[in-house]
Amino acid sequence: MPVTEGLVVSLTRMKRILEIDEENLTVLVEPGVVTGELQEEVGKHGLLYPPDPASLAFSTLGGNVAENAGGPRAVKYGVTGQYVRGLEVVLPDGRIIRTGNKCVKSVSGYDLTHLFVGSEGTLGIITKILLRLVPAPEAVQTMLLGFADMEAAARAITAMIRRRLVPSTIEFLDRHSIDAIRDALPFTIVDDVRALLLVEVDGDAAQVRRDAEAIGKLLQDSVRLQMSATDAAERQAIWQARRALSPAIARLAPHKINEDIAVPVARIPAVLERFESISRQAGLPIVCFGHAGDGNIHVNVMLDKNDPRQAAAGKQAVREIFAAAIELGGTLSGEHGIGNTKSAYFSLEWDADTIAAMRLIKRAFDPHNILNPGKIFPPVS
Amino acid sequence: MADNFNLREELARCVKCGACMAVCPIYRQTGREELVARGKLALVERRQREKEEPAAGNLSAFYRQAIDHCLLCHACEDNCSKNVQITAIIKESRREITAARGLHPVKKALFGLLRGRFGGLRTLTRIGSWLQLLAWKRLPAGSGLRRRLPLPLIDDQTVIPAIPRRNLDDRLRRRPAAAAADRPAVFFYPGCTARYLTPELGVQTVAVLEKLGYRVVVPREWTCCGAVVEAAGDRQTAVELQQRNLRVLAAAADRGPATVVTVCATCGHTLKGYPLPAGCQVMDISEFLYAHRQPLEKLLAGKTLDRRLTYHDPCHLRRGQKITAEPRWLLRLLAGDNFVELRHPERCCGSGGSFGVTHKALSRQILGEKIADLRQSAAAVIASGCPGCLIQLNEGIQMEKLAVAAVHPVTLLAELLAAPPAGETAAAVPTSGEEKKTPAKSRRAEKTSHKRKKG
Repeated sequence: MPVTEGLVVSLTRMKRILEIDEENLTVLVEPGVVTGELQEEVGKHGLLYPPDPASLAFSTLGGNVAENAGGPRAVKYGVTGQYVRGLEVVLPDGRIIRTGNKCVKSVSGYDLTHLFVGSEGTLGIITKILLRLVPAPEAVQTMLLGFADMEAAARAITAMIRRRLVPSTIEFLDRHSIDAIRDALPFTIVDDVRALLLVEVDGDAAQVRRDAEAIGKLLQDSVRLQMSATDAAERQAIWQARRALSPAIARLAPHKINEDIAVPVARIPAVLERFESISRQAGLPIVCFGHAGDGNIHVNVMLDKNDPRQAAAGKQAVREIFAAAIELGGTLSGEHGIGNTKSAYFSLEWDADTIAAMRLIKRAFDPHNILNPGKIFPPVS
Repeated sequence: MADNFNLREELARCVKCGACMAVCPIYRQTGREELVARGKLALVERRQREKEEPAAGNLSAFYRQAIDHCLLCHACEDNCSKNVQITAIIKESRREITAARGLHPVKKALFGLLRGRFGGLRTLTRIGSWLQLLAWKRLPAGSGLRRRLPLPLIDDQTVIPAIPRRNLDDRLRRRPAAAAADRPAVFFYPGCTARYLTPELGVQTVAVLEKLGYRVVVPREWTCCGAVVEAAGDRQTAVELQQRNLRVLAAAADRGPATVVTVCATCGHTLKGYPLPAGCQVMDISEFLYAHRQPLEKLLAGKTLDRRLTYHDPCHLRRGQKITAEPRWLLRLLAGDNFVELRHPERCCGSGGSFGVTHKALSRQILGEKIADLRQSAAAVIASGCPGCLIQLNEGIQMEKLAVAAVHPVTLLAELLAAPPAGETAAAVPTSGEEKKTPAKSRRAEKTSHKRKKG
């Protein structure tokens, strides 16, 4: 949405899949193709486009590239940027440029492709995207694991990774999240489970079985609830726990401030501890859930913005959340981008020279500042 | 008609995330941002801001078109992570448009009839039943009528049910009084369609309820539930109709707890939204039957349908009343393993009340996908608990010349109950009646059935 008056350029009707190249494992798409629809289409060819943002049923690939979207599968497969091989981009002055190619190795000149990835629409308008695909895994197993507290769950994550077990997905839900969804689930979560991990392993059938068994064995002392599913319907039932979350949390308080900081995976327990104390100080519940496997945490400060005390406390809590993440080697945003709501905090993460370097790039491409003005950069004082 | 509804606050809660785009049947066909909930809400928001200006502009044709393009299927609302009351916002906006510009003349005349002038729908359908064959020709096997002459809003593909000579009230009056007066009473709200267009469905419902041991009361004072009127932005008529029905309900509840059964998803959804008098509950027929599953299974005595059967979720049953398990339980009971799911049973059929008439081409495009799913299911029968959906599905079936019957689940049940006992050819009792969680509401209904045993 424009910050002030502006024009929105919608590319949703540029929605053709132009070419699926089964020999080079690439697909050429227009920016309006919906992520989930691409996945369905390449799936018919036994291929997988791994990035799976929660919004995949309606998010478009143009938006995914411009935001460098992530998703639960990032633990094993990485984020959108790792799948972009090339782009066609319309520059602010109307010139059309082409970046990248189908080559696995390609180092001719600057990597302009990845300059546009995550640029939030501030440098150019993406009109074609060349994406890399991977062979679809033969089998997927989904597990829901319950723990006594968040610490035990966090220890389980690092234990898995230290054992070189790399699930494709590790999602977590804290105790507030569990309380919010308990009644909406088709199964029961006992009261002494205060943290949940949703773990997925994929690969060939034998390996999936081996990995799932190894995880079960590794965590047998700390797990208090364990469910496992391989068929689609049962996996859906488990995923419902995660998907029911956003609407359920929306009911906890009139408003929520939702941030998506990320920290190095090993720092998850530390950052969650910091959030607990920020929550106590602010006197506001903070609900955390998200992509534990890649350190990207959705932090929800629950409040009533019409109450001036809560509004002020909420604002303060957000600043402290960002500060804590950065102090622990993390970032303001794992996958949502800066936009205009986080631009005020931009300088918490980057020093003046780094921001100046970024501005230099912006000015080189868009000297008249016509593309997404007011986004990313804090207003110049 | 939510009264605790603040338009401003509701609009502010939409964060324009676009989740509605994944499920909106109209956006799916058009790809037009202003026709999906997020776009409509942005327009309504702007309209609200404009109204604060001293010289608020007129309602533009663009705005009116956008607000008009909604099936009220609740799909966006159901998929909204912020739980924004989108349907209520659309209705509110339509009310403003109707207040400023008036109703379409056809709707105005029709709603006037509903409010009881000139004898109402009863007279209209009676005259219509005599005159219809001048303008319409019958289709084979009683599947409906198609036009003979050019008519406004109706093209040569439109199929409407023939208006029967005798409406439900007439049919019930001629029926022998089957039930003894000492039986427990259940109230039946047939809705306009089952009352005037497909009275057979009404008669079948009464027959099924009587087989379960009830005395069925169908007050003649019932009137239209008001859903069509509310959807068109005519709040005043909607309130009038609601008050009339509430008087009937109050009289019913006066003599102890009263259960009202509906066979139309939209009527049921609307009635459940009334400020119902204490001791009065509204149940969709599928909920009611689920609450009586034991006697019903006994009555069926192993008889099953030997044709492949599928099911279309009416929007106002699935999303409006959150009813999905009970109809499926019933259909599995009736057809056993012959019951199959459609690829997308939850998608709107494109009828949306008068939307199918006013936006014919778009409505047919939406219907086309449903019919493609139906063809793929290879079913011989498609059931749906909403007479409006059934009219629409039947039109699609006629257009594609499929050999499929579109029927209400109650019709299937009534036919099976009336059939001779299961012979050697009939399949065994289905065992696949997977019973999901017992819906809370049906527990209350079980009390009714206890009472029946005492009586």
